[in-house]
Amino acid sequence: MDLSALGSCLISPSCVITQSTSGLIIGLLLFLVAAGVSLIFGVLKVVNFAHGAFYMLGAYFAYSAYQLSGSYLIAVLAGGIGVAIFGVLFERLLISRVYGSPVLMQILVCYAMILILDDVVKIIWGADFLSFGMPPAFQQLPILFAGGVVPVFYLFLIVITLIIAALLGLLITKTRYGKIVRAAAVNPSMVSALGINTGVVYASVFMLGGLLAGLAGGLAAPVRSLTAGMGTSIIIESFIVTVIGGMGSVAGALVGSILIGLVRSFGSIGFPLFTEGLMFVMMAVVLVLKPSGLFGKEGR
Amino acid sequence: MSARSSLLRDSLIAIAAFLVLAALPYIFPSKGFTDFVVRLAAFGIFATSLNLLVGYSGMESFGHGLYFGLGCYTFALIMQNFAVSIPVAFLLTIFLSILVAVVVGSICVNLSEIYFAFLTLAFQMLLHSLIIAWTPITGGDQGLTGGIPRPPFLGIRLDNYYHLYLFSSGLLVVCLLAMHHIVQSPFGYTLRMIRDNVSRAPFLGINVFRVRLMAYVIAGAFGAVGGIVMSLFVSGAFPDFAYWTISGEAIFMIMLGGLTVFLGPLVGAVMLLLLNDVVTKLTSHYGIVLGGIILLFALGLRKGVLDFVADMWRDRRQATLSAENRSEVAASAKPAVAAGE
Amino acid sequence: MLTIENLSKSFGGVAATNDVSLHFPKGSLSAVIGPNGAGKTTFFNLITGAFRPDKGRILLDGTDIAGLSPPEIVRRGIGRAFQIARIFPTLTVHDAILGAVQAHRHQHTVIGRRFPLPELEDRAAHVMQLAGLTSKAKIVSRNLSHGDQKLLDIALALVLEPQVLLLDEPTAGMGPEERWAMIDTVHRMWELERMTLIFIEHDMSIVFKIAQSVKVLSYGRVLAEGTPDEIRRHPEVIKAYLGDEFEAAHA
Repeated sequence: MDLSALGSCLISPSCVITQSTSGLIIGLLLFLVAAGVSLIFGVLKVVNFAHGAFYMLGAYFAYSAYQLSGSYLIAVLAGGIGVAIFGVLFERLLISRVYGSPVLMQILVCYAMILILDDVVKIIWGADFLSFGMPPAFQQLPILFAGGVVPVFYLFLIVITLIIAALLGLLITKTRYGKIVRAAAVNPSMVSALGINTGVVYASVFMLGGLLAGLAGGLAAPVRSLTAGMGTSIIIESFIVTVIGGMGSVAGALVGSILIGLVRSFGSIGFPLFTEGLMFVMMAVVLVLKPSGLFGKEGR
Repeated sequence: MSARSSLLRDSLIAIAAFLVLAALPYIFPSKGFTDFVVRLAAFGIFATSLNLLVGYSGMESFGHGLYFGLGCYTFALIMQNFAVSIPVAFLLTIFLSILVAVVVGSICVNLSEIYFAFLTLAFQMLLHSLIIAWTPITGGDQGLTGGIPRPPFLGIRLDNYYHLYLFSSGLLVVCLLAMHHIVQSPFGYTLRMIRDNVSRAPFLGINVFRVRLMAYVIAGAFGAVGGIVMSLFVSGAFPDFAYWTISGEAIFMIMLGGLTVFLGPLVGAVMLLLLNDVVTKLTSHYGIVLGGIILLFALGLRKGVLDFVADMWRDRRQATLSAENRSEVAASAKPAVAAGE
Repeated sequence: MLTIENLSKSFGGVAATNDVSLHFPKGSLSAVIGPNGAGKTTFFNLITGAFRPDKGRILLDGTDIAGLSPPEIVRRGIGRAFQIARIFPTLTVHDAILGAVQAHRHQHTVIGRRFPLPELEDRAAHVMQLAGLTSKAKIVSRNLSHGDQKLLDIALALVLEPQVLLLDEPTAGMGPEERWAMIDTVHRMWELERMTLIFIEHDMSIVFKIAQSVKVLSYGRVLAEGTPDEIRRHPEVIKAYLGDEFEAAHA
């Protein structure tokens, strides 16, 4: 523990700026993954444990697309769209067969999927760490802000993820599709009674979740090293986020993610060996005080 | 109960099983065989302890590897850093696991299914990340290497592979005996009742939280024993033993062998370990093969080997019983009822 | 002896139980009747601790048990069966009944020389016989008929040797013949075990035949109480609840 380091960071604007931006990036990328987990759980009552593998897949798809096209835009889109398609296939071919099964059976299917994907990634892209490289457009001098150093790419990431978050919020709250999704979360039988094909709704939610996770993987690729198994920590964090924010709540996922991001970035200064532990303490506190999560409505 | 349990009879069976195990290395005198049984002891105890939760209590933990990893690291660290005997380290390890299980269990046991599964997993991953982060103590991602001292106790020298084999087999038999006794006890049946109908249980005077917590702690303590055996086997500890895949494997062992039969998880452990050995010999793509097998199982069979046997037996019995019952009712035609009219 | 004093509970401003005071002497057999929504099941839920009363006392042999949790109340001797049988689907009849009494007395017992404990097995066998379930002992509960599931639910409460047994519509969902068989069984249980029995029932012919005392609830309040004869003649009861149905049945 190094509380004096944390203290001296908190009184220095430059350190606060640097840590806040990196915390925001961690948080916002995490949000894209956690929002998918939360949505899928809200509608299907399935926790997609393979969602971290979706994120990994997004990063690798983006990597290959970048190698082929040299365009970062195409790379990110390839990550998003590729994983969206993969999500639909995963839902239709595998997960849809274990709806209504014991939770353990669903977990087992996700577990199998992760084992397979981690191996497939090793076969196609190799077992070594891959580095995406910073796209040339962002190879500029970092911006200095109140003494804090903020790389241009970080700013871009913050803006683009906030835009995606806003679009997602609009989709869920303002569109007919969002209405159907929200209704399906509350009462699936009513949705099918209205003549809406629940199978299509379910697949589309997985597609949306896959899209978000794939975009997150693609966006994160330049600042993360790519490796099989890179999805594990993000899925655990996503779950912590959904517990803190409330299962099925997109707003809760946003708040929870940013909270986790900031805890990680500031915690790494104050409690370098216990940053993870800090997240768990936060989760435990929320569970004890408000078991349904900060934005959750009903029971656990 | 349908299966009566007397400690004496069970103990005799356990002694017989132990004698058979002790004799086996004379029939299969290979290091490969004894190694297999030691690993089986670790995973057999571990998977059976998880089934106390999954099969008997309906508590679907996905983070039971917490106790495997905790047992493994605690035991190895105590042996490496303090000059204590193996039994003392063993007991200290169990004690610490119980403490951790009480804290984690208090937070988790009353949560709903999905929350319970993932929170237990989350706590396991906390241990894993602590192991990775605290490199000076735990050796980080390289694991705890350098071997652990194994001072002899009671004439048992665990640096001898046959002694280790006997010790592990003995632990396996004793732990299974103890766990079998527990599931046949009033407590064990209380667990089944909570599993079957958690909302009815309080109206029979059952304190659901306390009974669940007890089950969770007991399972954690036995899980740690599995970890201790593993630590002795590898003479150290590795972060993989605390990784979530350990929990996944244990769940698959349970499902594969059958969760409705006491020995199901042990059978599953045998199957998965054999499979493991065969697959790793044939291909380096263990994940794809294992994942494929799990998918086939989860989407196809859906029940463990012993589950099939037990269900077949049970269904036939139930069919006869209800047929008998029907004919009885028909024979007594109208019950002699003093109707009010 | 069970005495209820000024018991009240409301849900979102609606009083489900409103200032109810009732007395059930030791070893008595009482029926609680009332139209749908009269608060009969809520009354049971309050006594057994499923709901926490807003106000009032529940005195069991002089000790206030209001606000205790269901397991604590069960331990003090109040047992309960449900309107829709709540059983343990994968356990056999024998294992469920024996498991119930074991759980009640020894839920934390992990070690012993032999299981099951012989004295509890005798108790379970006795209750199975009382409930007429002996021949079905080895049947898995979910395979039982509706009537047998109701009997099992009652047996689960009875095996704990309650001082007070609450039965929520023991004859719900049964045909006329089955009803009388059930009531016979319940009556025999009461005669042999001598607990204070309180049951909710819709069939007035059953109520008037076996109950020593009848309590009438309406809109969460006690409308009337007395012997079956008094209730039969009670003008307000006839008007508010029994009405045509009663006239038709006893014309």
